Amino acid sequence: MPETLRFFSVQLALIAVVLVLHTYLGLHIIRRTLVFSDLVLDQLAAFGALVAIGLGVKYGTIQAYLASLVAVIFGSALLALIKPKNRLIPREAVIGILYALALVASLLVGDKLSAGEAYVTKTLVGCMLWATWPLVGVTTLVYIALLVFHYSYCEKFISLTQKTPDVRHERLWDFLFFTTQGIVTVLIVPVAGVLLAYSFLMIPAAIAAMFTKGWANAVALGWSLGFVACSMGLSASYYFDLPYGPSLVLALGLFFVSAVLLRAMLSQRVRADTRGVTQG
Amino acid sequence: MLGLPFLACLLMTAMLGHLGIHVLKREIIFIDITLAQTAAVGAATAHSLFAAGGDSVVGYACALGATLIAAAFFAYVRSAVVQIPLEAIIGVAYAITAGATLFVLGVASGGHIHVQEILAGSILWTRWADILACLLAFSIVGVCCYVFRRRFSRISEDYDGAREAGVKVIGWDFFFYALFGIVITLSVRIAGVAVVFAFLIIPATISALFSRHDLARSAIAWGSGVTASMMGLLFSYRYDFSAGPAVALFLGLLLILAALCRICIGRLITHLSIGRVTLRS
Repeated sequence: MPETLRFFSVQLALIAVVLVLHTYLGLHIIRRTLVFSDLVLDQLAAFGALVAIGLGVKYGTIQAYLASLVAVIFGSALLALIKPKNRLIPREAVIGILYALALVASLLVGDKLSAGEAYVTKTLVGCMLWATWPLVGVTTLVYIALLVFHYSYCEKFISLTQKTPDVRHERLWDFLFFTTQGIVTVLIVPVAGVLLAYSFLMIPAAIAAMFTKGWANAVALGWSLGFVACSMGLSASYYFDLPYGPSLVLALGLFFVSAVLLRAMLSQRVRADTRGVTQG
Repeated sequence: MLGLPFLACLLMTAMLGHLGIHVLKREIIFIDITLAQTAAVGAATAHSLFAAGGDSVVGYACALGATLIAAAFFAYVRSAVVQIPLEAIIGVAYAITAGATLFVLGVASGGHIHVQEILAGSILWTRWADILACLLAFSIVGVCCYVFRRRFSRISEDYDGAREAGVKVIGWDFFFYALFGIVITLSVRIAGVAVVFAFLIIPATISALFSRHDLARSAIAWGSGVTASMMGLLFSYRYDFSAGPAVALFLGLLLILAALCRICIGRLITHLSIGRVTLRS
């Protein structure tokens, strides 16, 4: 029993810490329609780790983290700098291409590693099952530092998202935003894997953005629903011996699909009411 | 040895190059990778529930079924949920479907080999049966795209305008995504998710750098797809890399080259026009 308690307390503590910053960053990403950007950084972090493994470094060590960080900062610079002026090429296309290239580069590096397929899968699914208290401690410290940074400059980041005309040094703030996202990514991808990290960022924020416009309310709503969904996924994975990361993603997904249907129903009712008032 | 893989690349270039132009116009970059991943969930489910191989009729049917469900969902959601962009819903759907694939394969044995196969494909082992199936399906989809080209273009360029003009956008969107899903299901079985995505987005982006006209854009997209396929396949053969990812890598390199060319041409034009104005004055 103490083993079960220890497992759940470490996992839930890590998820609770991670979801705060992820939901906030996710709101920016959804409201700016830069959906792929996180996947690019996630995949680049995985690519950096794979290159490090190719150079003889062990997966999950400081050196592997550093390799991921270098790849991610390079990606952040590309994301901030490449903004096509051509109206036929949306910014999301550039982001998509960067993702595709990071993914194929990872696959090509995986080709040359012994048991490369297993490593590629490992970077996708992570090994959060083995999370420890020291990891929770380090993650909490870094996340608090990043939260303080974002809180101090929240006006800049929010005006970037709301596209107010008075934003100066747009590319620099973009770079700083993507770098924060990148640091978070480097910390979380080796543990949670690309897909779960991406889901933590996108799903709670997407659910919240459908129901509220304010920032604080959206973070609170996203965090609460995300935490409940992850707890359900975690319990299902533990008690029914299901794959860990995918179980959490599916639990979050279940909440998301329910939220989409609820939103559609509410919108339909509002439209019907408006029509009734107009006709009346 | 490389003949059949090259033929498969040609077919994908022809079909995906054209569809990619619509995808860029609609700004739904994720749609391909999400539908591809949905098809992968269907195939993985067929594998673990019925022990059906990817090439079997059951495998294809499950993949196509999953794709059609996703097509209906996106067509409906696009008009029903306006609070967040469709691209965000598609992006989240990608995470869910990718998670579902790993979930199903995680329960099945030899999961990570299948994950690698779904991502990277096995284009080197393309068979005549695959080529013929693609040729048949792509021809039907191509004819539909041609016959309904005006309707598809209208919705791609101005969704709200088309809806206000009385076009049944949900039905047409479903039809478009369903056609798209058929192409993706077949392509992903051969080339894998990552490579099909590269074929869809990169040639269309290269074409957007040089032209605004659909026909010229299609021609540029096809030209760049064929060039990258040849170079990628030769590279993979010579240096022993997976063929699909190598082709995708060369598509990326070609895009970088095209973007640099475009910048140079732009500067040259600006330079010449400044010179002309100076001469006149």
